Amino acid sequence: MASHSESIIREPLITGKDITYAQITNDVLRPVENMPGRAWWIGFTVASLGACLWVFSVSWTFWYGIGEWGLNKTVGWAWDITGFVWWVGIGHAGTLISAILLLFRQNWRNSINRSAEAMTIFAVICAATYVVSHMGRPWLAYWPLPLPNQFGSIWVNFNSPLVWDVFAISTYFSVSLVFWYTGLLPDLATIRDRATGIRRKIYSVCSFGWTGSVKTWQRFETVCLILAGISTPLVLSVHTIVSMDFATSLIPGWHTTIFPPYFVAGAIFSGFAMVQTLLLVTRKVLGLENYITMFHIEAMNKIILLTGSIVGVAYLTEFFIAYYSGGEYEQYTFLNRFIGPYWWAGCMMYGCNVLMTQLMWFKKIRTNIPISWVLSIVVNIGMWFERFVIIVTSLHRDFVPSSWVMFYPTWVDVSIFVGSIGLFFTMFLLFIRVLPSIAMAEVKLILKSSSEQAKRKILEHGGHDKEQVEFYKESLTTFDSVEIADYEKI
Amino acid sequence: MDSNKKYWKGLEELNKTPEFVEKNKHEFAEPIPIEDVLTGGGLAGSTPRRDFLKALGFGVGAVTLAACQKVPVHKSIPYLIKPEDVTPGVANYYTSTYEGHAILVKTREGRPIKIEGNPKDLLAKGGVSAQAQSSVLDLYDVNRLKNPKKDGGDLGWGQTDEFIKSELAAIKAGGKKIRIVSSTITSPSTLAVIADFITQFPNTKHINYDAVSYTGIIQANQNSFGKAVLPHYNFDKADVIVSFGADFLGTWISPAEFTRQYVQNRNNKSLQSKKMSRHIQFETGMSLTGSNADVRIPVKPSEEGLALVNLYNAVSGKTLPGSKALKNNSTADKAIAIVAKELLAAKGKALVVAGSNDVATQVLVNAINSLLGSYGTTIDLDNPSRQYAGNDAGFVEIVNETNRGEVDAVFFLNSNPVYDYYSSKDIVAGLKKVRLRVSFADHNDETAALCNVVAPNHYYLESWGDDNAIEGYYTILQPAINPVYDTRQAEQSLLIWSDNAVKDYYTYVRNNWDKNLLSKGGLSGQSGWETLLQTGFVKAAANVSGSYTFSRDLNAVAQTILDHSNLLAGDGSKFELQLYQTVAIRDGKKANNPWLQELPDPVSKVTWDNFAALSPADMKNKGYQEGDVVTIDANGYSVTLPVLSQPGQKQGTVSVAVGYGRTNAGPVGDNVGKNAFPFFSLRNGTFQTSATAVLTATGDNSPLSQTQTHHSIEGRNSIIKEATFTEYLKNPSVETGKGKDHKDYSKNNLFWQDYDHPQYNWVMAIDLNACTGCGACVVACSAENNIPVVGKAEVGRRREMHWIRIDRYYSFNDNGKGGVTKETEIAKLEDLDHVKVVYQPMLCQHCGHAPCETVCPVLATVHSSEGLNQMAYNRCVGTRYCANNCPYKVRRFNWFNYWNDSRFENYLQNDHTLLVLNPDVVTRSRGVMEKCSMCVQRIQAGKLKAKIEKRSVKDGDIKVACQQTCPANAIVFGNANDPDSEVSKALSSERTYYVLEELGVQPGVGYQVKIRNISESEA
Repeated sequence: MASHSESIIREPLITGKDITYAQITNDVLRPVENMPGRAWWIGFTVASLGACLWVFSVSWTFWYGIGEWGLNKTVGWAWDITGFVWWVGIGHAGTLISAILLLFRQNWRNSINRSAEAMTIFAVICAATYVVSHMGRPWLAYWPLPLPNQFGSIWVNFNSPLVWDVFAISTYFSVSLVFWYTGLLPDLATIRDRATGIRRKIYSVCSFGWTGSVKTWQRFETVCLILAGISTPLVLSVHTIVSMDFATSLIPGWHTTIFPPYFVAGAIFSGFAMVQTLLLVTRKVLGLENYITMFHIEAMNKIILLTGSIVGVAYLTEFFIAYYSGGEYEQYTFLNRFIGPYWWAGCMMYGCNVLMTQLMWFKKIRTNIPISWVLSIVVNIGMWFERFVIIVTSLHRDFVPSSWVMFYPTWVDVSIFVGSIGLFFTMFLLFIRVLPSIAMAEVKLILKSSSEQAKRKILEHGGHDKEQVEFYKESLTTFDSVEIADYEKI
Repeated sequence: MDSNKKYWKGLEELNKTPEFVEKNKHEFAEPIPIEDVLTGGGLAGSTPRRDFLKALGFGVGAVTLAACQKVPVHKSIPYLIKPEDVTPGVANYYTSTYEGHAILVKTREGRPIKIEGNPKDLLAKGGVSAQAQSSVLDLYDVNRLKNPKKDGGDLGWGQTDEFIKSELAAIKAGGKKIRIVSSTITSPSTLAVIADFITQFPNTKHINYDAVSYTGIIQANQNSFGKAVLPHYNFDKADVIVSFGADFLGTWISPAEFTRQYVQNRNNKSLQSKKMSRHIQFETGMSLTGSNADVRIPVKPSEEGLALVNLYNAVSGKTLPGSKALKNNSTADKAIAIVAKELLAAKGKALVVAGSNDVATQVLVNAINSLLGSYGTTIDLDNPSRQYAGNDAGFVEIVNETNRGEVDAVFFLNSNPVYDYYSSKDIVAGLKKVRLRVSFADHNDETAALCNVVAPNHYYLESWGDDNAIEGYYTILQPAINPVYDTRQAEQSLLIWSDNAVKDYYTYVRNNWDKNLLSKGGLSGQSGWETLLQTGFVKAAANVSGSYTFSRDLNAVAQTILDHSNLLAGDGSKFELQLYQTVAIRDGKKANNPWLQELPDPVSKVTWDNFAALSPADMKNKGYQEGDVVTIDANGYSVTLPVLSQPGQKQGTVSVAVGYGRTNAGPVGDNVGKNAFPFFSLRNGTFQTSATAVLTATGDNSPLSQTQTHHSIEGRNSIIKEATFTEYLKNPSVETGKGKDHKDYSKNNLFWQDYDHPQYNWVMAIDLNACTGCGACVVACSAENNIPVVGKAEVGRRREMHWIRIDRYYSFNDNGKGGVTKETEIAKLEDLDHVKVVYQPMLCQHCGHAPCETVCPVLATVHSSEGLNQMAYNRCVGTRYCANNCPYKVRRFNWFNYWNDSRFENYLQNDHTLLVLNPDVVTRSRGVMEKCSMCVQRIQAGKLKAKIEKRSVKDGDIKVACQQTCPANAIVFGNANDPDSEVSKALSSERTYYVLEELGVQPGVGYQVKIRNISESEA
């Protein structure tokens, strides 16, 4: 792609002096080709303990039954489906980055798409475990699949959103996996070429015999575009269908036509927050500041601000419609989010998702790494509470007041959720050890056009509008990976 | 075209070399080295690749074959010689009797599995209480005594008899007293046996001792009219009913019968003839009866007597000495005047009852009833009730006799005074001085544990006998199963021990009936006996119910009442304690029955516990939170109990249920709640149920397990609709708006296809004005549908499994404006005493467009062609989406495997108790959703029967379990396609509405608006 010179007023996508293709390979593969450092080991120990907790508590549930959770006759879903929707939502950022941003030629995605896609896959795995473990009889988990069977002429219920959900999630997982792996091929070949011994054999199998010929590259790019085309509708459809689990029911608080766009926006919102959470740490620990720059951080914060505001508008719309519809039960449900016994959960939802993200209007906050990281966590907490409020607060006081209840989680509920986070991080930490966490091939594509050194060369060449140069220099001041002193002479 | 071509594979074949010919004799050209492999080095040597593949292939094949083995088959062995009257799969019904009610016992393959009402029963006309429904479970209680015991060790019957006979002979010779203590015996044959025993041992005396006694009424009738009887009340003949603390719909004397009578003047039929009785209740704690009253006035126990004195004054126009206005209860004071007017206006059709066991109070009630002309109409003294004949003073005297060492032998028959006598320590001390202590208890209960001989009685389902609940009404008790354990009927034991000429109790009963009872029903001989066994009872012609006039002086009576009131009131600084029975547990004799323990109390909805009920105002004053444990001190005894905020509870009073805190009931009933019987006291020869008490907080909190924790309807009048009788008279469709502006939501079919119901459309009608909320249907449903019991902890986690529940909602008055039902508004109210209650049985509504059906991913819940919403348990994977999407929240999930999980084994799980299961209904495994099926097994059975008889199902052929047991006939089930069916008629009533019908789910259960007989100002 693009070997032309890029406008000087655009911020660089790669910083650092003397960055060469080899340098990129060396930087990105440092964690893959060397023994992990202490930070990794600490993180991995904590995460795998969490994963063990997950294995234990899920096994506990399988052994004794769903009764070990805090659910009851009125609240039939709580932390399980909250966790499911939360994880599926998180996955959406990866798909958006890899598919839609590719189609829109957003080159800055090249540095973050690999990790984001990996995150998608791990998040969907976490979500899928909830799908199975929340069933009363998980050993029959294959029954919602339309398989030919010998149970007579029993078929699945195509009217049920849960069946749509099965299709949606399985399609999403398989397409994401294929897309991710296809993108990995040239990078795997790079590792193969540098590796020796058994590692070389493994990576050589994994890289599917990549030769790096022009024809291979051409096909690679075509496949990526096709897969991006296939994935793009999934960004919208998957969470639309997840939202229909609620929207097609008649429970007040669920029975809402705004749910599909609202859920999709919320999913991208939470997904970018999770990418932010992961990459802000990764770039520091793995020393990838030159590739994941302040520009990326700020761009993602802008998306968080946009989607967060869309979610905010959706919240307001829900309240307005509840008021405007005159529906007795609907009105009560929305009032109950503030004045009912779960008012604190409602406050967490609206506070974290709407109020806190409005801080992103300020550039100082968008470009402040610690605050960005904290806010990304806040958004993830808020989005968990959004699903909790939608599910539990709507169910616990629905139509018939005699059945109104409170929901109290048990240690199993909490352990499964905490454990699923452990599982996620275990997989992510293994990922950054064995696969390149940045798409090297794609980053190299933009080195000549969009990197700091390329732009500097242009600047040194001179002949640019002074105003533009000043603008460019001004924008660089926010970067933590650029030495501003170098620009004083220019 | 023939081809002569020969193909050959090698030169050897072409040339037919001898080696080739030799090799080709066998199937395989080269020998297979099986022998080599199995012997020699084959096994020890390294496995070549091919062998590995062979081994793998063999291994996989062998495992596959092994896995093809059939699932173990449990064979059921058919009868080799089939008993004449037992056909596997077909139920037999036997007439019998439970507490004087004629009942039918349903047996399957020789096992009693269900109690059903005898539709001809004079008392409840087929209605059956929760106790009777649950009684079948006790038959299979593994904790019943399995053989006679002496001093804790097992003993055969022969040795037991020998021992007791020799003891009795010695005691007879010694001349000391023999005492038989029983709860009220209504059986004529048992009484005859005891009479025969007394003839043999003349120093014997038999005393009826009831834990909750009606001695006060019996004595009052003796004092007033010279008849020491418990009258038979006719609530059906009363237009105005005034009750002072008598819970006649829940626990008082004969609640199932009274419910039937009471509802007759309030149900749909009565309303359509523009008639409705009026019921005013003065009481302390909120009872089932009080919650059904049109007007309920909370009074303290100390005010009850004064209120009655004032009522007498108002009715008679005289003024009894010492009477004064109820200065602290102006509501009651005003009400008395109005009530007196109403009573006088309904003279001859009025009834005043009081729950008190105080003789003086009951004498005053008699005087009032006499002035109202109730005798001969609403009260019948000439066909009295025999249901309670307890003699409080008589029993106290026995306790004294034992303590004085005058008694050498005491027999306890269905009586457990060590638990339920107020001064248990006296009886424990006394028993130590008795030489022979015999209990007939079928459990090693608190009293049996102190006896030297326990001669366990048969359970009633294993027994012969009879009952006589009301004068002239004789019911027969016949066994429905052979004795399960090595027990013996108490009567038979008495016959043997007294060397009666007839030693077999069956013969004895036969003789008694032949001689005395059959003739009363115009029967005689063998054919008469057989007719009796088929009909279940005989009814003698009723005595003429005479009218009685009260003519005694009341001054002394009034003085006694007022003295007692003053004593209770004290200086007003203490709480007044009221003791009552809960509808489920009553006096605690059946505390070991898990169905009853899990049946929520109709008013408080608490299961598995008793509690201290306080008014919300007192809770606030004292700073208590629900479930805070308090110590209650009264009459020198104290217990710690969690508190419950009970709207309608009179301020300054606390109500505690007796019947809890058993220590020897069995694993289910032991240590459930606390024993409140010791709070009783003896006053003027009768047990009193009120006292003054001091409450102190302990600082602990013990949450109560309630099945309902939100108590108000939040103004949702599409769920509950109610109107006043005046409004109803003006416009019978006042709340439903039927006819003109009623929107027909059933036509609201944008998305859904209508289902065809070509032949049957099973629907239900529930009359909210008939339902009293007693909960008998809940137990009946549990018995019919094998519903698991989950215990206190699980109910506390809101996981009870009942398919039918009774929702109870409170509404409050706000300065004369009625109907405050919103949580936020209730929180601001000052006065939570004047509360109105409505009950609503809630079960699967079998929606025409069921929301549960569309969301199930695997089609486990589907619509039938007969209008039912059906559950295919085996298909359910347990996503619980259906339950979430059910607007009525009637679906129940099997959170655990209740039938095979050690945590639930006390309830129904053991091999023995499982025999009570209805074989027509499968038990559900863990992870499966379940709900009301409208007793689909009964529908199928009814259809099958009709098919065999080559006809279609007639209205009334099929009765669902809840409908069948309801003493109030509040539930009607039937075919909506038949315009003449009872249910079609009920649903066409102007009062019919459908809960949440605006959702368009087309529920199949119609409810009829609750009507209160109150003037609009009272509403």
